[in-house]
Amino acid sequence: MKSDLRAGNAPASDAETAFRHKSRSTKALMELSGLLRAPQRIPTLVFKLATDELRTGVEQHHLYSYVNTTLSSMDTLRSVVGWIFAAQGGDGGIAAYYSLLRGYSESYPEVTGYIIPTLYDYACETGDERGRRSAESAVRWLISLQMPSGAFPGGLHGVEAQASVFNTGQILQGLTRAHAETGDANILRSATAVGDWLGILQKPDGSWSGQGAYQGVAHTYYSMVSWALALLAEKSGSDRYGVAADRNIDWVLRHFQPGGWIDGINLQGHPSYLHFIAYVIQGTLECGILRRRGDAIQAAADSAWVLLRRFETHKFLFGTYEAGFKGGLRFSCLTGNAQMSCIWLRLFQVTGELRFLNAALKMNEMLKRQVRSRGRAGVAGGVAGSYPIWGPYQPLRYISWGCKFFADALLLEQRFMREVGASECA
Amino acid sequence: MRVVVLSSSPYSETSCATAAHLARLGFVPQGVLTLPSWDRRTLIRKLGQWGVGESLRYARVKLAPGKGGSPLGVRNLHLEKYLRHDRGVFRNIREVGEIHGFPVVTCRDQNSPGALAQLKQWAPDVAVFTGGNILREPLLKIPRLGVLNSHLALLPEIRGMSSPEWSLLCGVPLGITVHFMDGGIDTGPTLLRQEFRCDEKCDSFAELRNRMIAEGIKLLGEVVSGLDRGTLSAIPQASRNEDHQYFVMHDALKAEALRRWKKIQWAAATGKSDG
Repeated sequence: MKSDLRAGNAPASDAETAFRHKSRSTKALMELSGLLRAPQRIPTLVFKLATDELRTGVEQHHLYSYVNTTLSSMDTLRSVVGWIFAAQGGDGGIAAYYSLLRGYSESYPEVTGYIIPTLYDYACETGDERGRRSAESAVRWLISLQMPSGAFPGGLHGVEAQASVFNTGQILQGLTRAHAETGDANILRSATAVGDWLGILQKPDGSWSGQGAYQGVAHTYYSMVSWALALLAEKSGSDRYGVAADRNIDWVLRHFQPGGWIDGINLQGHPSYLHFIAYVIQGTLECGILRRRGDAIQAAADSAWVLLRRFETHKFLFGTYEAGFKGGLRFSCLTGNAQMSCIWLRLFQVTGELRFLNAALKMNEMLKRQVRSRGRAGVAGGVAGSYPIWGPYQPLRYISWGCKFFADALLLEQRFMREVGASECA
Repeated sequence: MRVVVLSSSPYSETSCATAAHLARLGFVPQGVLTLPSWDRRTLIRKLGQWGVGESLRYARVKLAPGKGGSPLGVRNLHLEKYLRHDRGVFRNIREVGEIHGFPVVTCRDQNSPGALAQLKQWAPDVAVFTGGNILREPLLKIPRLGVLNSHLALLPEIRGMSSPEWSLLCGVPLGITVHFMDGGIDTGPTLLRQEFRCDEKCDSFAELRNRMIAEGIKLLGEVVSGLDRGTLSAIPQASRNEDHQYFVMHDALKAEALRRWKKIQWAAATGKSDG
């Protein structure tokens, strides 16, 4: 999830930057004040800070690849999805995060939307019908939020009401899947309204900028929107959504560099977190698979391969990367790691290259060690924004989109390991 | 032929066996350059390669011979034939040096200026790598012919780590390649490439590796002899630019590779395939 909390803004001026700094300080103070209201969270916070300090001090990053964990993937999957169930409110909306300072956030429409396929997949894999019920409750809540234009609001529920291209596209993934599962015509109507709205806002070059785009500019990570449109094209039988997806992917592909780096993430005030880089790759790959676009699959595979080699040789991925993958901040963006695992697993499926599977399995081991199976609600089964927990990406928070991507990675692992066992020769 | 051996630890059985085997063939090393016994990186690497259980077993074999290994305290039983001498078995490289008359020099880093100066003083025709650091260009240039390595897979098909396991998983025959090292990972010119056949029952990768290591030492001896006679020449690897590098294999895939290995063995033993 990209925190598209302020959609449609122009690039920041100095005054805006100063305002943003002030606003960040205010937010930090507000977060801290949460501890005063709920001091029972202090032991959990102190425990997490202490254990991460200890682990980063004692355990070297380069041990990740060598870890022989005893944690079962299925048990971890149940814990992680359990976190999602616990974060879902009675109305069906799922919280964006659990803060060690402030507790659960408000519900987040974007994540509530694109977590739906994960919940259905979980139900299919485990037979746990809570997954299906949770998905259906999420869909009902989302449809109640849809704007007359077909768009969905960005940001946290009740905090932000502006329509957001990216968040709407992410929600489309969930709507499309929910329709495929239930056959409900209302859900399809809602999904096609989203597709039509996205089509209206798309620029002639295939990108989305200006109204509804974060910071008002075009971003390559909107390839995730193309993925959702490609899904809608397939499920609705209307190729105009597929054409829109293709046009955006054409635009995104122009930003892939020969060394695998991808330009055009275009987030002012944010470093290029692995999360965003992985978004570009994942959206391009999935759209490429659905639209049978060899050029998109190849571009995604090339970038994913560069990151695979980084992971295998350094034994971890940086939390951010600079242009050309030339290094970045030394912490783990756990969501980005989980996304890379999903990407590698899908590339294994497409190419049969076992090194993708191997890297994903090792990445999942590293992530499994980050998930606590026990503890208070909001912490047990949670995937933190950063490792260590005070890293710059969503510090001191367990985030719902981290759980979503890690659950996806574990579900894919279950599926593909069965296939490897069944096949005679790779 | 002036030979030098590069070793990861004075207690490395592979290094001891290689040095002893070369000495018996008439190529007494000019010296052995070894990392110290308690090198942190070596310990981490071994812990990674062997796991905690196997590492503890190794320590037990060394500290209390006769328990968990051979009565003589050898972890890799297939190296015993190289490690035996008149008065028992070699326990460390210094004992090999004392018997065969070559010096053993310890260094923290085989690429350090001190290590390079020592190597230049020995002026080797070839160096034989049995473990240690990633070797840098200045060291690789010192031996007149180059630095030899025995890689536990066929090159260029399978480069890098967990090579026997990857061979099995990718359907490439098991094999050993002796090659000169260059700046890449197992990308240097090859001298001898031989498929590995295992006629006896072998039901773990640790056992398979032990057999392959012993076979690799035999092949290193053949290569040094061949270079000395001038009957061997190095062949640049084909498809050097293709990415054949493999990495440490996850346990779940190792289990699958082992299943395939057992199936191959079963088919070889019974002369049939289970389809």
